[in-house]
Amino acid sequence: MGLNYQAVGWNPQKKVYDRILVLGVLLYLIVFIVGGFIFFPTATIETLLIRAFGTAAMVLLHIILMIGPLCRLDTRFLPLLYNRRHMGVTMFLTALIHAFLVTMQYHAIGDANPIVSIFTANTAVDSLGGFPFQPLGFFALIILFLMAATSHDFWLRNLTPPVWKILHMGVYLAYLLLVGHVVLGVLQAETSPIPAVAMAVGIVLVVGLHIAAGYRDKVRVKERAHGTDYIDVCGVFEIPEKRARIVSMSGERVAIFKYDGKISAISNVCRHQNGPLGEGKIIDGCVTCPWHGFQYRPEDGRAPAPFEDKVPTFRVKLRGDRVMLHPIPNPPGTPVEPAVIGVDGGRR
Amino acid sequence: MKPHEDKEFYVGYTEKAPPGIAKYVRLHVILMLLAVAATSLVLVMSQRPPDPGVFEFGTYRNFEGWIVEEPFPMLRMERPGRAYQSPTHSLYTLVVFGKFSANNAVKGLNGKKVRLKGSMIYRDDQIMLEVSDDPIEVLEDPGFPKDDLFGRDLGKITLAGEIVDSKCFLGVMKPGNLKVHKACAVRCISGGIPPALVVKDKEGNARYFILVSPEGRAMNKEVLDMVAEPVRVTGKAVGYDNLTLLYTDPRDIVITR
Ligand code: HEM
Ligand code: FES
Repeated sequence: MGLNYQAVGWNPQKKVYDRILVLGVLLYLIVFIVGGFIFFPTATIETLLIRAFGTAAMVLLHIILMIGPLCRLDTRFLPLLYNRRHMGVTMFLTALIHAFLVTMQYHAIGDANPIVSIFTANTAVDSLGGFPFQPLGFFALIILFLMAATSHDFWLRNLTPPVWKILHMGVYLAYLLLVGHVVLGVLQAETSPIPAVAMAVGIVLVVGLHIAAGYRDKVRVKERAHGTDYIDVCGVFEIPEKRARIVSMSGERVAIFKYDGKISAISNVCRHQNGPLGEGKIIDGCVTCPWHGFQYRPEDGRAPAPFEDKVPTFRVKLRGDRVMLHPIPNPPGTPVEPAVIGVDGGRR
Repeated sequence: MKPHEDKEFYVGYTEKAPPGIAKYVRLHVILMLLAVAATSLVLVMSQRPPDPGVFEFGTYRNFEGWIVEEPFPMLRMERPGRAYQSPTHSLYTLVVFGKFSANNAVKGLNGKKVRLKGSMIYRDDQIMLEVSDDPIEVLEDPGFPKDDLFGRDLGKITLAGEIVDSKCFLGVMKPGNLKVHKACAVRCISGGIPPALVVKDKEGNARYFILVSPEGRAMNKEVLDMVAEPVRVTGKAVGYDNLTLLYTDPRDIVITR
């Protein structure tokens, strides 16, 4: 094991994932286009394609945004998160086709450069009803492009995780822009209330799931006072074998693992994409991240060779069957002697 | 933690997912695919129905008639059985491929009788031709039948409607109006396609008023800001054959949004 844990290359799970992803997109497009001609025989293929790809991208974006909180609410959804990167890239490509077709249809073969025309054809920025919605789509597309282009782990490494993380939080900005693109765009020209209702349902699902997941997290992970001395964080029995308990001290999260009669504590934040290590499991002696399976040794927070990722470790000791945690993190990769259950005063 | 979280743990790079998780995900993926198909169906069905215009894209026919260059290119054709009908002629507006007027194609041909190839674009009583690239053939010149191209003065009127580019609205694009189409309408009108004020009556029947300046010249750039918006327009309406022109000062076009 270990060697393929970097989540590079295609593996059987990813192949299944990608097949279902492509199937889903095709299903959406075919239903839209075939349905379009059945219900509206005089519709034009250009408009149906533009709308099929635009709405398909928007539906995919909603699914992408819902997977995160769903996994926090129920870890059985984690397989959906494993290869979310491909879903993101697929969504970008789908949106790109929409944008390309729209630009060809509405801006090309005219008296201005088509890209310039996206910005100059409507300049009523002072009016809500008349607001130019197309530049909103353009900016969202740029963000989605940057995210798709840097989605590979290569870029994660080269941009460093904090920069990468900020860039990928851009998905929320893109979502906001796209809600504007739809609300100030197509919804202004529709006669049926259904498209507006559909948009509202989408927003409520995305926002609602994020709030629910955040709330659940707050309830589960209690905030502790931050001091400079060992603090009592939990009982040994509260931690399942080969699993962890997450505690939070002034916002910093620590994962306290129990395995083979020992207790170790490392940072809860995975170096890969900030996955919650405390929701992972010890496999082959290593803490395994629940998101994409990066591994770290609990004793020193280091990935097994040949990998070099490391996370901060924390000192732990036992007082009776209580786990005592020192709140000051050690530099990433610092070895810490695990507390041994039964020897340090705790019972097994 | 829920009990199932302890029993099974998913690692993506293993050969197979644990059975409990696999079953759960399979069920939810199937539900998601059904939801995706249902969303697609609901969204496609709830669209504003496409406009009724027709564009005979790719189909070219020959048309014979007299060229009118001003205020915008038109072909004046005799209607069959003219003695019994009014009007006796039809005016077809002329455009070329893309978002451009036919100004260059008909330059110098004013009043000449010609044969040209074009694709028809039509809606209600309005007809437009997208002139092909083939050269326009000048026929033996019987002179322009000026005698019967009289304007019928319909007086000064104020109308509420929407300014569209006549090419897309008559059938090239569906949608060919309102905000989704605004940028395209701006490009088309900016490129010389005649702007038309579309006024709908209570039954939804459309009447078309092509906007020209008070001096009767083409008016394009002047109206760009008012395109695809609800507007109220005051002007002098004059009928020519099947067309109605509205002689309007751009200052008399008011956005009523
Ligand atoms: C250069 C960028 C873009 C331009 C110029 C653009 C332009 C447009 C236009 C003109 C429409 C109205 C089309 C119609 O219904 O007739 C539209 C609709 C829409 N766009 Fe975009 N768009 C862009 C990017 C995006 C992106 C990145 C998304 C991502 C999901 C998106 C999603 C949608 C959706 C969901 C609709 C409503 C459905 C539809 O009417 O097609 N657009 N866009
Ligand atoms: S493995 Fe990707 S976040 Fe931990």
